[in-house]
Amino acid sequence: MSTNQIRVDPVTVEIIRNALTSAANDMNATLIRSAYSPIIYEGGDCVVALLDVNHQVLGQSAGLPLFLGNIETCSMAVEKKHGAEVWREGDIWILNDSYLGGTHLNDVTIFAPVFVEEVLVGFSAARAHWMDMGSKDVGGSMDSIDIFQEGFRMGPVKLVEAGRETHVVDLIQTNGRFPYQTIGDMHAMLAAMRMGSIRMDELVRRYGLDTLNAARDEIFQQTEILERKQVRAIPDGVYYAEGVLDNDGINLEQTVPIKLKVTVADDEIEFDVTESADQTRGPVNCGAAQAVSALRVGFKILISPESNSNGGSFRPLTTRVRTGSVLGAVSPAPCQWYFSHLGLLIDMVSKALAPAIPVRVAAASHGDSMIITTTGFDPRYGRNWVSMEATLGGWGAWQGSDGESALINNVNGSLKDFPVELVETKFPLRINSYTIRQDSGGAGTWRGGNGVTREYEILTDCVVGLWFERSQTPSWGLFGGKPGIGPDIAINPGTLQELHTLKANARQARKGDIFRLQVGGGGGYGDPVNRDPAAIQYDLDNGYISTEFAQAHYGYSGHG
Amino acid sequence: MTRHRVSMDIGGTFTDIVAYDSKTQEYRATKTSTTSGNLSHGVLEGIDALIEDLTDIDFIVHGTTQGLNAFLERRGARVLLLATAGLEDIYHIARGSRLELYNAQYRKPKPLLERHDVVGIRERLQYDGSELTPLDEAAVRAAAWRVKNEGYGAIAVAYVFSFKNPAHELRTRDILREELGDDFTISLSHESAKEWREYERTSSAVIEAYTGPVVRNYLLNLETELSNRGVSVPLHIMQSSGGVLTAQSARQRPLQTLLSGPVGGAIGGEYLTSILTNSNLIGVDMGGTSFDVSLVINGTADVATEAVLEGLPMLMSVVNIHTIGAGGGSVAWVEAGGLRVGPRSAGAMPGPACYGRGGVEPTVTDANLVLGRVDADTFAGGQMKLDYHAAESALQKVGSELDLNLIEIAEGICDVANSQMAQAIRTITISRGIEPRDFSLVAFGGAGPMHAAFLAKELGIRETVVPRFPGAFSAWGMLQGNIRRDFSEPYFHLDADLDRAAMSSTLATIEREALASLESEGVPAENRRAEHSVDIRYESQEFVLTVPLRDAAEPSDEEFLTTLSRRFADMYEDRYGHSTFGAPIEIVTLRTHVTGVLDSAPQHRIPAADGSEFPHETRKATFNREELDTIIVERDSLRAGHTFVGPAIILEATATTVVPPGFRVEIDSYGSLIITLMEGRGSSL
Repeated sequence: MSTNQIRVDPVTVEIIRNALTSAANDMNATLIRSAYSPIIYEGGDCVVALLDVNHQVLGQSAGLPLFLGNIETCSMAVEKKHGAEVWREGDIWILNDSYLGGTHLNDVTIFAPVFVEEVLVGFSAARAHWMDMGSKDVGGSMDSIDIFQEGFRMGPVKLVEAGRETHVVDLIQTNGRFPYQTIGDMHAMLAAMRMGSIRMDELVRRYGLDTLNAARDEIFQQTEILERKQVRAIPDGVYYAEGVLDNDGINLEQTVPIKLKVTVADDEIEFDVTESADQTRGPVNCGAAQAVSALRVGFKILISPESNSNGGSFRPLTTRVRTGSVLGAVSPAPCQWYFSHLGLLIDMVSKALAPAIPVRVAAASHGDSMIITTTGFDPRYGRNWVSMEATLGGWGAWQGSDGESALINNVNGSLKDFPVELVETKFPLRINSYTIRQDSGGAGTWRGGNGVTREYEILTDCVVGLWFERSQTPSWGLFGGKPGIGPDIAINPGTLQELHTLKANARQARKGDIFRLQVGGGGGYGDPVNRDPAAIQYDLDNGYISTEFAQAHYGYSGHG
Repeated sequence: MTRHRVSMDIGGTFTDIVAYDSKTQEYRATKTSTTSGNLSHGVLEGIDALIEDLTDIDFIVHGTTQGLNAFLERRGARVLLLATAGLEDIYHIARGSRLELYNAQYRKPKPLLERHDVVGIRERLQYDGSELTPLDEAAVRAAAWRVKNEGYGAIAVAYVFSFKNPAHELRTRDILREELGDDFTISLSHESAKEWREYERTSSAVIEAYTGPVVRNYLLNLETELSNRGVSVPLHIMQSSGGVLTAQSARQRPLQTLLSGPVGGAIGGEYLTSILTNSNLIGVDMGGTSFDVSLVINGTADVATEAVLEGLPMLMSVVNIHTIGAGGGSVAWVEAGGLRVGPRSAGAMPGPACYGRGGVEPTVTDANLVLGRVDADTFAGGQMKLDYHAAESALQKVGSELDLNLIEIAEGICDVANSQMAQAIRTITISRGIEPRDFSLVAFGGAGPMHAAFLAKELGIRETVVPRFPGAFSAWGMLQGNIRRDFSEPYFHLDADLDRAAMSSTLATIEREALASLESEGVPAENRRAEHSVDIRYESQEFVLTVPLRDAAEPSDEEFLTTLSRRFADMYEDRYGHSTFGAPIEIVTLRTHVTGVLDSAPQHRIPAADGSEFPHETRKATFNREELDTIIVERDSLRAGHTFVGPAIILEATATTVVPPGFRVEIDSYGSLIITLMEGRGSSL
């Protein structure tokens, strides 16, 4: 903390507060516009931030929610390893270590110290998902059993030294399968950071470091006051929620329990996940930094959804994560699918606190990314292709509204689905049907949203990967609302070879094979008995529910 | 003898009419209240006020908000959507994106029709346009029956890959015409938007069907009224793209009129570059509750190929208007001991405290009033007298919470609002890869000129221009438009696979059709021009840049691919600061737009000053926490060549211009105010 001797007037504080947010927006605009990979520009699987010398967030783009609470761990890791004297003007660092950054190896953070007149004033950082890190399977494996199968692990190391790119760039180019896109994305991140450095430099020169620091302290304090006020409004008590992952991708018979204990005392709140499972053999682990981040997302959804997070955020929140657990993994635990349990955990924060703040929570969503990947050789163009798609599902209802149907899951930000016309033009696949899945949302006074059905026909032999989750803990309802229906994948349905599976690594598919993916709906809210008959009739008229469902859950047989 | 060129711009509260008299070579402008019941009523009243004999009109152009209002108020036609069976939920799935990341209670933008308003039709094309499943004609006829029995007002037809092969959509329309007659509104997705991505194309067709009947009725009505009063020239309509079309053509493609309202300002800006030294402009249009930013780059308005309205996408050429939630009505409030300005607006009701309509929260307008930057008596042309004391007490309440005196809080609110607007402009320019310092700022709308100089300083912009009639600039801009039609053709090819001769011949075909379409617009052959461009990206990128081509024949050049790659790399470098010349590029869409050049009303020069003196008074206004003697001058008293130094406030019927200390004003020969930051007073940035 700085010595807060200067008092800065509230007008200057507010102008600086806006300028910091705007600086992050400028960085983000630069990154999105110049990235090469759809997962960044379309999926927004990235985040940018400006940090002060103490690694506190000054400004951060909305970005991917799961990147919310841990970008600062990267520059801290450098100082821990090399000491605070290590920073040099013109150096840029890179890191993708899962146990430091918390996510999988594909999430790469590039960051640099910002100097103004030879004084270190802070850091500029950008994190984005890179398509391939040289894992044993293209884009990432679904059955890795250690981190070494998942690709190359860096850092923190210098990507640029005294203004010149180092040999690390060569290492990146050599080890990944898509060096062209990867280097393009790397340059986009460098451009974003350059923008951040310029903005920071302007601010320091305009206001002076002392004023800036004093304004920063004031801004953080405002954030803290707002969050503490919200926490104080939650009744004191201890609240629990738990759920399971279907399996770790390797041992398909064994579920992976996730447990959350929330303690609220006055304006302090503690999230404890230490009772969750030990780290697993399969790739559903994450570093502790990422568990903290997920808990912060859960906190933010309920406490401060509208404001931009900064270094004053999350001060009322304490998190407890156990080292060696599935949420605090240590080497060599595999981390490729680090987010499935985190999506569950975010929903569980709402579940735990539902009795305390019933109006602000929602019932659970379908809960995971529901991934299908295809790779192979496309004879139409004479080229290889790789595709990875997330599939939409239903979200939970809340007091006063039904849940939304066909929406991306919580850890994927604002990702859009791939248009049928794009899929069929770019890949040798056909989408025979893509519909809202009737009856999949849970019944309730307010019903859960429906998931989707998306049926692929394979037009040329290829390799398919599947990662569908949440059949053992489908979306729960709240206050008497019913759970939604879970996911299902049928391969060649209606034939003698019909097969159901939710996960598959590198499965050989033949021309003519059908993959019918079905994603679950969201949970309902409130007792179905109290649902407005007009709403039931509306659902029937629009095919959101069947007459059988109306009869079974609402005892409603329609009118007319 | 004909001699008047007239434009009409309908806004929410006022309708602006601008007329150019070719005999006296003078512009005149007037404002009438927008008559929401029968819009043509207010329009005609305004024309009557300016022009004695309507047979004197030789050109008339109109920006209409009819379709937009019907959309925003959700009172368009009831639409039945025909979609490919199996994929009929595309419209309601709407790509599944969540626009609010931390909201567990998120709902998608509300669609224009319900799920039971969608009929799946068995038919299917493949990615290359070849037929997989023939059209189920009986199902189409059955849909027509539903229309008759259930009282639908319009039909949208959107099949996958219709942009590759429109046969099924065209056949569907033929059948529907047989059943429903020629007057029924039918929108085909490949005509609304001939581009890939089925959800966005479907949405375009649905919006066109939804707003089509309203727009058509309105235009027919207005044309009849004008013709009854002796107007013999065809009515022209402003399109979202910034070009104009005859009303007759606009009735066929009503989607193109949807966002025509604010576009006039950008086209006016485009025209201004012909008389200014800078051909790069940032236009700021600030009204009571909104703040719109547009860009003119190298003399051309920045046009996008996609727009989103209340979350619903449309694929069409549209002048890029970035709307920011700021304006005179932005409310100042206190949160956790900190000052906040906006994003909430007091709107028109209750409006700022000084409107005296019951508003008690201080707004930016209240702050301007207390600082002496707006005049209580002449605000909005004297149509509303402002209540100073109401503004004062609202400001004092917030000020005392922050331990700030009246002047500190008032100027603080303006400073915060100005910095927010400047930052928003900067982020817009950054995402377009533009350096704002190279641009001039053009300020219009009632409140734009009040804040523009502050924004310019913040952005490091040297020159701010306040054109004549800033309050009616959008209408003025419409008089400068040309006939424009846009054509696009999806054309996916990696550079390595490109058949250059085929590309040239495709372009030549489009050009022939496009030029022929100007025939019906009444454009003589010598005034027709075609320009071609191509959307390109690096392989596997998503965002494209629209790269101009020399002409339709250019792709046949031996060196074409190298030239094109170089041109693309240069644009890319400009935009993003890096490029990869030599990397594979992907061609996505061919674009052709044809222009029918109209005689524009020439820019009118105002009389030159015969000395440096001009009538004015001096009053106190506050800048930098200090009350300063400030020049108060009526704009009509100023002549070309007059110059003076701020602080100054320039009053006219439709707007107020504020010139802070350290700025110099010069009146150019066209009557524009040119405001520049004086040397040595540069922004501290």
